[in-house]
Amino acid sequence: MRVSPIPLIAVLLLAPLAGCDDTTKPPPAGEAPKPPSPEPGPPKADDAPADGGAEQPASEPIPPSPDPAAQPADPPGPTSASFDHAPAGAIPPGQGPGYLDRTVWSPNMCWPLAEAGFPNSQVYGPGGGSGPAGHPNQCDSLNYSLPWHDTFCEARSRSNPLCAGSGTGHQGQDIRPATCKKNEHWAVAAEAGTITDIGTYTVTLVAKAAPHYTYRYLHMQMSTLAVKEGDQVARGQNLGKVSNDFGGTPTTIHLHFELRAGVSGMTTDGKPVTLHTFLPPYLSLAEAYQRKLNGQTCG
Amino acid sequence: MRDGRRWVTTAAVVAVIAGAALISKGEAQTPPGAPPFRFGIAAVVARPRITVEWQAAVGGLRQSANVGESLAANLDRAQVDATAVPILLPRDPKLTAGARLYSFGDYYTITANTAGGRVSLSGTTATVPLPAAKPLKVETGPEGLTVQRTVDGQLASFVRFGVLYTVEIRCDAPGDPRCHDDNYVLGLVGKTTAVVMGKAARQAAGLGG
Ligand SMILES: [Zn+2]
Repeated sequence: MRVSPIPLIAVLLLAPLAGCDDTTKPPPAGEAPKPPSPEPGPPKADDAPADGGAEQPASEPIPPSPDPAAQPADPPGPTSASFDHAPAGAIPPGQGPGYLDRTVWSPNMCWPLAEAGFPNSQVYGPGGGSGPAGHPNQCDSLNYSLPWHDTFCEARSRSNPLCAGSGTGHQGQDIRPATCKKNEHWAVAAEAGTITDIGTYTVTLVAKAAPHYTYRYLHMQMSTLAVKEGDQVARGQNLGKVSNDFGGTPTTIHLHFELRAGVSGMTTDGKPVTLHTFLPPYLSLAEAYQRKLNGQTCG
Repeated sequence: MRDGRRWVTTAAVVAVIAGAALISKGEAQTPPGAPPFRFGIAAVVARPRITVEWQAAVGGLRQSANVGESLAANLDRAQVDATAVPILLPRDPKLTAGARLYSFGDYYTITANTAGGRVSLSGTTATVPLPAAKPLKVETGPEGLTVQRTVDGQLASFVRFGVLYTVEIRCDAPGDPRCHDDNYVLGLVGKTTAVVMGKAARQAAGLGG
């Protein structure tokens, strides 16, 4: 079958161009190491951020979302996780739609912290921008206690096509480290793969194994990362220490853990769609943490 | 918010490309072996088979003439050759000049520096299906074009030659206008049209290594 030629010039003329295309070469290999960050101390003023919550600029309104749908009366088989954790998709009324999906999308991944952690809300927990009255400090013991809480599709203004209603919501799972001390607790590789991108407060890991999940780690202490772009990492390998780096914007001490993949499905108006988007990591995290509790090692 | 005019303009660009690429069923691109299913978990992830439309991709390669190879000149050739899907590059030599390609065979991702941020370009045949009862709230354009706003940028996806491609901008500064709306990322999608094939892709396309 022949393929028709196309007028490439027309394509190029049509293509809308934005400025700011200046490029720079990657840093040369063997560049001077960054200076170490100061030792962590006791909680400071930034432990009670008043920014309205993690990854949510105070200047951006959060679109209204329906409250979570009722949990199915006869849910699929429960997760094997035996520690105290709230069900997947259970978001309290008024805090976002949540996402009721019991798929363990990454059934073999590692728990992404070297130690324990506390998945829960950075916005509605103590010290969050919409936290409970009388609990102004993020180091409140309530934040460092079980049960876990799912935060995928918690109310946010950024896109998440899986979130019912507005199609916006939290794009990952927020996890507090073992203690309320920043720059101390390691985040580790969820799967073997390659570090494909490092931003000012983000580290991206693409898994070697199909379907090549993309794991994004936000808010680590970027000045002391244990990896650089292009590194191939093993499961459980140290990546960096959980902190509150957010490009100068205040946030709580936590790891924002994101799971992305190529996904096929249907749109709400009935069209088939394939796109790269966010998947709920909560049950994958619960299974991984249970394996850790059971003594399985990663790496 | 979305600039409707810009969306339409980019959609037109994508439509031109889509219209020119005559779809045919070429050789199948089979994803690597599926992972072991686990029992006792809430659900398992079935892996759909994605077929690369190799004839259309070869058409795109020919239309790219030598432009694609020129844009790819600084990419790691071993990584290009290991990539078993057609690689799409933006017709922007400044962006591709220092770009790094990371290949996983049926998936690749390219990271390129831009002042104040980075651009990622990826392509894959590996996808996972969502539960049928879980529809996605997202607008789609030609070639299934979607745009999502991330914590630090804008993420566009589209399907061409049967391959899922993504174009993403990630900004260092929260106030960077390229990450506030979809103008920049749609512009980048519009010029991401140059096709490059390394050895693995050429073999799969029947062009020899
Ligand atoms: Zn988060």
